Amino acid sequence: MTNDYLLLTIFLAIAIVFPLIPLAMAWAWARLFSPAKPGKDKQSSYECGIESTGPAQVQFQSHYYLYALVFLVFDVETVFLMPFAAAFLKLPISAFLALMVFLLLLMEGLVWAWAKGILAWK
Amino acid sequence: MLTALLPESLLVATALVVLGLGVSMPGARTMSTVIALLGGFLAAAALLIFPIDGNFLHGMVVLDPIARIFKLVILALGLIAAVFASESFLETHFAESLALILFGTVGMMLLTGTEDLLMIFLALELTSIPLYVLAAFNKASRASAEAGLKYFLIGSISAAFLLYGLSLIYGVTGSTNLLAISKAAADPLLTAGIVLTLAGFAFKVAAVPFQLWAPDVYEGAPTAAAALVASGSKVAGIFILVKLLTAGLGHWSGAAGWGQFLPGWAPVLALMAAASILLGNITALVQSNVKRLLAYSAIAHGGYLLLGLSSARAETIPAVLFYVIVYALTTAGAFGVVAIVEKQSGGSRLDDFNGLAKSSPVLALCLLVFFISLAGIPPLAGFFGKFYLFSTALENPSMLWLVILAIAMNAVSLYYYLIVLKHAFVLPACGDIRPAGSPASRVVVAALALAVLTLGLAPNLLLGQITRPVPVKVASLKTGN
Amino acid sequence: MILTATFLSAFAGAGLILLLPERSAALARWIALLAALAGLGFATVAFLDFDSAGPHFQFLTNIPWIPQLGISFSTGADGISLVMLVLTGLIAVTGVLFSWNVTRRPRAFFAFFLTIIGGVYGVFQSFDLFLLFVFYEIVIIPKYFLIAAWGSTNREYGAMKLTMYSVAGSALVLLVMVAAYAASGAHSFDLFTLADPSKSHFAPGFQTWAFPVMFLGFAVLAGIWPLHTWAPTGHVAAPTAVSMLLAGVVMKLGSYSALRVAMTLFPAGLDQWRLPIAVLAVAGIVLGALVALAQKDLKFTVGYSSIAHMGFVLLGLMTLNLAGLGGSVLQIFSHGIIGGLLFAVVGRMIYDRTHTRDIAELGSMNLTKALPFAAFTFTVASVASMGLPGFSGFIAEFTILKGSWTSLPWLLIPASIGVVITVAFTLRALQRTFFPFGEASAPAHALDPITLSEKLGAVILMAATLAVGLFPSVLLDPILRSFQSPLMHQLLK
Repeated sequence: MTNDYLLLTIFLAIAIVFPLIPLAMAWAWARLFSPAKPGKDKQSSYECGIESTGPAQVQFQSHYYLYALVFLVFDVETVFLMPFAAAFLKLPISAFLALMVFLLLLMEGLVWAWAKGILAWK
Repeated sequence: MLTALLPESLLVATALVVLGLGVSMPGARTMSTVIALLGGFLAAAALLIFPIDGNFLHGMVVLDPIARIFKLVILALGLIAAVFASESFLETHFAESLALILFGTVGMMLLTGTEDLLMIFLALELTSIPLYVLAAFNKASRASAEAGLKYFLIGSISAAFLLYGLSLIYGVTGSTNLLAISKAAADPLLTAGIVLTLAGFAFKVAAVPFQLWAPDVYEGAPTAAAALVASGSKVAGIFILVKLLTAGLGHWSGAAGWGQFLPGWAPVLALMAAASILLGNITALVQSNVKRLLAYSAIAHGGYLLLGLSSARAETIPAVLFYVIVYALTTAGAFGVVAIVEKQSGGSRLDDFNGLAKSSPVLALCLLVFFISLAGIPPLAGFFGKFYLFSTALENPSMLWLVILAIAMNAVSLYYYLIVLKHAFVLPACGDIRPAGSPASRVVVAALALAVLTLGLAPNLLLGQITRPVPVKVASLKTGN
Repeated sequence: MILTATFLSAFAGAGLILLLPERSAALARWIALLAALAGLGFATVAFLDFDSAGPHFQFLTNIPWIPQLGISFSTGADGISLVMLVLTGLIAVTGVLFSWNVTRRPRAFFAFFLTIIGGVYGVFQSFDLFLLFVFYEIVIIPKYFLIAAWGSTNREYGAMKLTMYSVAGSALVLLVMVAAYAASGAHSFDLFTLADPSKSHFAPGFQTWAFPVMFLGFAVLAGIWPLHTWAPTGHVAAPTAVSMLLAGVVMKLGSYSALRVAMTLFPAGLDQWRLPIAVLAVAGIVLGALVALAQKDLKFTVGYSSIAHMGFVLLGLMTLNLAGLGGSVLQIFSHGIIGGLLFAVVGRMIYDRTHTRDIAELGSMNLTKALPFAAFTFTVASVASMGLPGFSGFIAEFTILKGSWTSLPWLLIPASIGVVITVAFTLRALQRTFFPFGEASAPAHALDPITLSEKLGAVILMAATLAVGLFPSVLLDPILRSFQSPLMHQLLK
């Protein structure tokens, strides 16, 4: 038991240290190599040399979210298809029917989303 | 095995048909409602014509007479919510709301027919997610969006708690089947699992301290959604909680008596019950919105139900089951009246009920029946439910402290129920009220009022069904003394 | 079956009234009168049919209702019950007669009225605890609506106060009832089973808390001091018929149930708490009378006089001898009639016409000339209330005092003082309202004459109290005999 936890502790330590290394390197690089940025003008974003106008925040398009939702559903469907595919030859026909029902349900969801105009960019 | 899940399959098929209808013919509200109701009646017929008992898929689907009664009740509540939904203003996405109601009902029905932890979680999520969406359905109302968001966030957190608890129980006992769990040995980790599981279920039942979602959801959600949340999810939640605690975790009940404290889930439930009864009744005293008032009364009634469970006696179980059914029917009816009044007067504040007795005497009479039943006054079903609950809880005499609290707060609760009735019967209407509300919802409300009265005068109609001996054994709760 | 007919006729009447269409609403009072007369008829027939040489409890009905809890629909009557049922019938009929002028929403009014009457009939004949409680509670809600919607002074507050007090009392009773179910060992709610020492046993420790809680719960409705403050406010706020009902039968529900249930089930607890309750009863007599003496409002005076008279009932119950207990039941009947009559005069005859209850103001109206029948009736009622021989109040109070002398002699003195104060405030109210000094020649206001229905109601009540006063054995014999039954006999010391 002590060995298992020891392994976990080492794992935890590496997990913490691992992301810190690039951060530390970036900080060190910035400190040593990048040019100084002393003022407001130097910190501002580059827009072909002219003064930037308008706020930097652009409204998030909710359509991305809807696409991501529908994608997620079908991604998880794929995940479920994989073990079924792996064990396909050993399963009885009722399992095939059950999975067809599953696919059909998700297909109807897609049809519904399509018909409601969710997939069209407005 | 197929016929075991026939009612649920029929409901799913109906929901899909309604969805298809909603996409192809968006304006056909009546047709969608009729199809939904037809599907529901078919499912009910399937339940009654094929009475199957037995254990399928290693406890994933377990059917017995009591489970069938609960499925029937939940089906009825779902259909009632569908009828009330047709009352609403919602023009867009109406068929989707019906489909969501049906899916939620399927989830609740699955919840009442299982003995497996995994299936419990699955069915619970299938119940909750359509209800989250339904709560936020009214896009024109900020309150509805707030209700949906709060319900979803708090519900998801408690589902996470529940899942963690269930997984801990699985980890300790090595099985997800309730009967196998009851044979396992005790373990400190099991305590953590049980506590987390209770937290998850307490959310469903709206018990303190997991009740924060209830007032906002009941007030903001469209009334049909609130009706389903108040009635259906409570029935299913209590039933599966009873099954979990008696069939699965019966050994670790502990005792909640005064001076007889033993660690277990019973004292936890007793404390939650006491807090819910106190908070629910006292906060309801100052409410000015009837839907919010019903939410706090729901919290209080959740407390009474948990009181029954915390006595950890086998005799109290039929009382709890009887009371939750009666409560669900009464609340569904109350929300139905509120839905009609909302349409008539434009809101559900107390003043919107003024003069109801003059403009719709039958509706006011139904309101009287529902609220007096909730207050526990004879000869209505709510009184007998409470009476039976308290009598059987006192089979364990050391529960007297909790019963005293419950009876005292019950007397207090009459005050706020009477206030609503005062507005309906005594105060004159402000302005003109034209009676609104479709005949269907009025018929449903009247039928529910009649059911409440009938169950009050002849409770044996339901009680006889619930106290029949059950093939699936109820493990290890103390019987008698 | 005849007993069941009493409350069935009342509920059927209520249902029928609710079905009346709007344009026939005036028919409501006729249906109510018919239902009330039917109930009175059934009660009287049962009273006359009671075989005084037969078994103690007659007209028994026992239908199993909810076997899981040992609840059955068990009704019957002995002498005490029948006297109560006749009282209810009389108050019901006269109540309807005195409400003949209700024109605002009459259907709802009379439907609620008949529901209360049905519930009261039910309580007086139930011998199953659960059934008794069901009827007891049925009475509570209609009271609220009747007072809040048709009442007068401060009606919403008065209605809510009255209802919450009643519900609090019922909650106490409910608590003991559910506790008794498990504690008795008999798993039944049948009164005979629970009171039978061979079938059920309550531990002395249980009785020590159960008896006072249950007795006080019932006694709240009987107006025991200091839990009586709902009564004056509620009575004043209520419309006439409801005040008559409240004073006439509803307050009697509490004392009857206390006798029938609380005292028979827990004799050991009764022994322990007897003296404190008797002291509270006498306090009610004296303090109720003193407060009545200070009132400027006629209806408040009558309300407090109810408290004082009910104090006598509770004193009689605590004497635990035949004279006291018998007198107590007779006082329940007597005060029911007299209280009803007093409220009828003050509410219907006077207030509905003059729209004032202030004694000084009424005195200036020369009511004796304007409403001679009202003056006559109020005089008769006051005289009966004071306990003058010839009326029922005298027999009842005398018997109670005799019983008190036998077992609680020290309390006799304050009780008798209470009688004297009662005479004082009654005479004061009577004199200042109807026979004021120096105002006999003032011009009489033009007031509507007393209608036929009022005269009929008043005559019925006056005749009842006079008849019992002159022939008390008609009621006393069945009452005293019913204390020989095994259920009630155990009370006697």
